[in-house]
Amino acid sequence: MLTISKKPPWMFFPDIIPIGHPIFDIINSTNPETDWDLRLACLLLYAFDCEDNFWQLYGDFLPSADECTSLLLASEDELSELQDPDLASTMRNQHQRALEFWEKNWHNSAPLKIKRLARDPRRFMWAVGIAQSRCINMQTRIGALTQDANMIIPYADMLNHSFEPNCSLHWRFKDRMLEVLINAGEKIKRGDEMTINYMSGQKNEMLMQRYGFSSPVNPWDVIKFSGNAQIHLDSFLSVFNISGLPEEYYHNNCLANDGDTFVDGAVVAAARTLPTWSDKDVPPIPSSERMAVKELQQECRQMLAQYATTSKQDEKLLDSMPNAPRTLEAAIKYRLHRKLFIEKAIQALEIYQDRILF
Amino acid sequence: MASNSIHSNLLPKSPFNHFQTSSYLVGSFPAGILQVRVGFSNSRRVPSYSCIKCEKKDEYNIEHVSVERPPYYSYMDSTSGQLEPASGARASVPEQEYWPEGTASQVRAARAPAPGGESSSSPSYGSKPGSRRKNYRVAAASSSTIDVGSSDPAPSDEASLEESIEDTQDSSSEFVVYQSEPEEEETGYDLDKKLGNPHPFIDPRVKKKIEGTLPDEELWWNWKKPEKEQWSRWQRRKPDADTVFLKAMAETGQVKLYGEHPTLTETSLYRARRHLYKEERLQAEEDRLEEVGPIAYYSEWVKAWRGDTSREAIQKHFEETGEDETAQLIEMFSHQTDREYRIMMGTDVRIKRDPLAMRMKEEQIKQIWGGDPVYPTVNYIQDPNEVIDYRGPDFHEPTPNMLSYLMEHGHIITRDELNSILAKEKPEQHEVTDVDEAMAKAVDIGENDDEEDSDVEDEEEDGEEEEEKISRNWSVLKSTPELRQSKAKAKKEGPMSLDEAIDDSENLTDFLMDFEEEQE
Repeated sequence: MLTISKKPPWMFFPDIIPIGHPIFDIINSTNPETDWDLRLACLLLYAFDCEDNFWQLYGDFLPSADECTSLLLASEDELSELQDPDLASTMRNQHQRALEFWEKNWHNSAPLKIKRLARDPRRFMWAVGIAQSRCINMQTRIGALTQDANMIIPYADMLNHSFEPNCSLHWRFKDRMLEVLINAGEKIKRGDEMTINYMSGQKNEMLMQRYGFSSPVNPWDVIKFSGNAQIHLDSFLSVFNISGLPEEYYHNNCLANDGDTFVDGAVVAAARTLPTWSDKDVPPIPSSERMAVKELQQECRQMLAQYATTSKQDEKLLDSMPNAPRTLEAAIKYRLHRKLFIEKAIQALEIYQDRILF
Repeated sequence: MASNSIHSNLLPKSPFNHFQTSSYLVGSFPAGILQVRVGFSNSRRVPSYSCIKCEKKDEYNIEHVSVERPPYYSYMDSTSGQLEPASGARASVPEQEYWPEGTASQVRAARAPAPGGESSSSPSYGSKPGSRRKNYRVAAASSSTIDVGSSDPAPSDEASLEESIEDTQDSSSEFVVYQSEPEEEETGYDLDKKLGNPHPFIDPRVKKKIEGTLPDEELWWNWKKPEKEQWSRWQRRKPDADTVFLKAMAETGQVKLYGEHPTLTETSLYRARRHLYKEERLQAEEDRLEEVGPIAYYSEWVKAWRGDTSREAIQKHFEETGEDETAQLIEMFSHQTDREYRIMMGTDVRIKRDPLAMRMKEEQIKQIWGGDPVYPTVNYIQDPNEVIDYRGPDFHEPTPNMLSYLMEHGHIITRDELNSILAKEKPEQHEVTDVDEAMAKAVDIGENDDEEDSDVEDEEEDGEEEEEKISRNWSVLKSTPELRQSKAKAKKEGPMSLDEAIDDSENLTDFLMDFEEEQE
């Protein structure tokens, strides 16, 4: 099932064709470039209604509305639990947009065929959430056209996300199939989890907004530092044995032979987000270096203090609520991860101070 | 006698013959051995072998199977170095290293067996999404088991990757585990499907014939499948004369074959036997000739000779009439008809000389000797007595007699005729000169008159030669306008007949009654 977010002409081999169904007009009325998720949601709902359709069977294995962590289904106070006003407002906008769409097309005098697809806005929200979180966006070449396709592919969308994935998705042109390629050098045995990278290069906010989850070890997370303090990049990297180009920092295991488990994606993210300077082989001046480190740590602590709760409190909260609704859980986790990340940055700076060689 | 032994030798059932057959070298017959064996089979009848039991020897218990040599030559395959399969078979499938890109994974995917598990719940067909998701946190600390109705959440693809959750996941993980069913033996189609062996698409037990198809005979193109399902015509039998003969013999019941078609062994046996029997027969005939005497011998082919042909009678006749054997033989042969002669000499193909063996069917004859090359089908046969385009007795003469032809058609006249015509022409010329005094006095410069006179003189002198020249070389006549004109002029004599006028005229325009121009 797919939509193409491009202006026509398109070329694809659709399996769900709502020809003759009034949903076809609804889908047609949207803008393919911006409303791809709404279109996908309509297609999904229609597919559930098609008799003898695979999606009817597969739908049982999609996360239900209770299980779905997409923030579209989150209530207001859950959004406030995010402790991130920007994200909250973004989500509100999205929610509003979806709701408006539903109200526009599922009005009272809509034909029954439409009505039964989504009896209430919550189902439609769920569909949009599923469409957003489970779809795979790829540049697919079909025939001679390379088009931006948003595809929901039955079993490939069950793959989880990881920042060190062992698999990736590849569109095979010759038989128009998506194949899950195992990354180079990866060995996957029976029982190993196969993971892919959903979105690379985005901070937790984007992940949360699109997929409804966040990660404490997002190597692309960003902390906004104000101030002039800068640390020496090369020494920071060498302390933590992070190598690679700035776009692809990774923890170099060969250099670190002591089984150092401290360095994870958060430290990599810190290496990226902390204000740094590097001037070829100008060495860092110890005193200014230490001052910079202290300043940065201070700033981080200030940021942490601005949150309503500490990370410990968040963790306790999570533990105390085993049966929390999934969206609430996700929201709390989001802010928890954020705080963890900042704490990790502080810790990293601390270690940096200790280990730096002058 | 011959047929009996053939019978006994080709019957495969008796162990005696098995023993014999096995010790033959297929394809090569040392004649000496064979003769012994043949004599063996002729003289001795089959003993009851079963009663002789000395010791259990493997030799006698071996099942003698005559393996037919394949009807082709065997070659070594250039790529593999092994024996090349029979011509027309496909080349061997290459190893996995040689498969094109993606084939290996396709094969692996195709061979993957279908998951054989039982689902615990039934689908809701889109009404309750997420109803059948598995509980990942099965026995974890969280009391998820309380809520049975609501689908208990497993971290879905939006899973947060906190290590704690990951650990629980890993420890309790059975990803999507189906209980495998108890091992039951699957056979045939199901087994093939499970293992990924090549199998038809539809289970042959369940398969139904497509409705509405006609049986083969009723199909409009009526294409009969060749028997034995060969995919190439080259695989069909290419019989040689002996095989066909043997088959025909088997059909008329003189010989018993093991199967439907004679095998190479049987054919070789037959060939050898026929050769030997022929020799024997010839020898016997010669002996008979010697024994009985030529007259008695050849009287077989002279039915009209009813006299006594024994040696005594001949002797007596010789004594009586003094005609010796040869003369009597000649006399006898004078009573022979040509048909009998041809039969005796064996030179008439229309008369069958071999009444014993078989009456071969035309199809079989065609297999060996081919059809008639001149009249391959009935449509080509023509009536031999038909008179076709009879051109005459000398139609094929290489050079026809042109002279007589021309004479016949009046294109040539004889010298005498010519002379007579010329003689008639001469007085005419003299008349002309008498009339015109002025002309007579004038010096004769005229071309025509010169030519005429010269021609006349020439003609009188070399009349004969010229005639001959003219008659032999028409080309000379063509290229020499003088000769042509003289001839024309010589013919002129008073009023001409219609034919002469036509002959004289150049074309029809001459008859246009134009009096201004002279008609030539």
